[in-house]
Amino acid sequence: MNNLFWIDHDEKKTYHDLINDLNGINFRWRYIRESVAYKVFLFIIHSLVNDYPIVLLDGDFSDDEIINNGFSLEEIINKENIHSKTINSFDDIKKCFNNLNNWSITLLTSGTTGIPKKITHSYQSITKAVKVSDTHREDTWGFAYNPTHMAGIQVLFQALLNANPMVNLFRKDPKTIIRIINKYGISHISATPTFYRLLPANIDFPQVKQISSGGEKLSENFKNRLKKLFPNARIRNIYASTEAGSLFASEGEGFYIPTKFKDKIRIEDNEILIHQSLLGNSDHLTLNDNWYHSGDIVQITETEPRLVFRFINRKNEMINVGGYKVNPEEIEEELLKNHKISAARVYGKPNPILGNILCADIVAQGISERDIRSGLKLQNFKIPRIINFKDKIDLTRTGKTKR
Amino acid sequence: MLEKLRVIISNIREKKGDAPLEKIREEDDLRNDIGFDSFDLAELTVHCEAEFNVDIFEDGIVTSIGEVLDKLHE
Repeated sequence: MNNLFWIDHDEKKTYHDLINDLNGINFRWRYIRESVAYKVFLFIIHSLVNDYPIVLLDGDFSDDEIINNGFSLEEIINKENIHSKTINSFDDIKKCFNNLNNWSITLLTSGTTGIPKKITHSYQSITKAVKVSDTHREDTWGFAYNPTHMAGIQVLFQALLNANPMVNLFRKDPKTIIRIINKYGISHISATPTFYRLLPANIDFPQVKQISSGGEKLSENFKNRLKKLFPNARIRNIYASTEAGSLFASEGEGFYIPTKFKDKIRIEDNEILIHQSLLGNSDHLTLNDNWYHSGDIVQITETEPRLVFRFINRKNEMINVGGYKVNPEEIEEELLKNHKISAARVYGKPNPILGNILCADIVAQGISERDIRSGLKLQNFKIPRIINFKDKIDLTRTGKTKR
Repeated sequence: MLEKLRVIISNIREKKGDAPLEKIREEDDLRNDIGFDSFDLAELTVHCEAEFNVDIFEDGIVTSIGEVLDKLHE
């Protein structure tokens, strides 16, 4: 197994290295809070091989965010010594995946009510969109997501189960991305719209066979740019969430429900409803007769011969910032912890780079924008980039802040 | 124009704890020389739009100070 598994800068890990690293671990962690992508993958695969459940925490969570998510700082560093299973080959790894009794993976997502949601997926649930076949044997994946988020996990399993290499593109600058895509002959990329928007217009990547994006409505203008950048690639817009994983894909704006999910996804009052059987487990999901109201509002464009629909917007107030979901209430609460800020209103404003840029109107005295920003103990994408100082902030009739 | 842009860029840098820039040059790369990430670039678009009423990223990405100035002069 000298095939490459992971490439990041000059660090290269083959599948053989992965096996050696797996065999070298003699403990287990319930909580994985790692910033280095390879280590995240290593611990996920170790948990699968040794069949124990894990919780993924973002490597850049502040201690405050860990506590706000309902964990204690002591519990997340708890290590338990174990005798790891000895793995001799890639087939050994795959065999372990077929005999899981205890394994599950819990991911966190911002809840709409301000309480973060924990979503637990089984192996079947998290890999339901993964395609394994000979046609994928030569794929080389550009890895462009946070490794602890659902989209990143999807790419990991798609690459791993086909024994493909992944090349790290996450948080790289465009010049490096261009060099890496060409150097390693990357054939498949899944990334946020922001990732593609940052690539210069005067370049193309004819060797790329498939690109995927999601999380936003793709405009015609943007799709035309993608076609110029990737002239030979199939362009897929994916509908996925932490709650349900990847559910369906479209080549344009029009989505349709795949036959296998025919009875498990329906549209009611223009909202997508997902049956419980397609969801991970969570105490934080509200179900109505086994159906989860996704909050995604669509418009039906065709009914015959099959139902085709396109996305309009979201029912709830989550803001998509560069592919990350931000709950404005969480940010408002953090802002108001500063006693110099008496009122705050957080909202998204359309932006050509990020989709939405996070803005905050605040009522405050004796504090600078810099101090406000540096005082927020939040992940970078949750920090408002435009802060407007106001005399007062309007409330809606129900007493909620108006966004 | 260059001076106004320098002030905008320096303000963005200062808010994230970086030193303001005393000078910017047309050949400066927004990422490598100015030190901007995608969030800073997004912020730059907002301030340029407010100051010059131009969406500098409307037709795709610009990578250098010179390219930003070209957009502002268009």
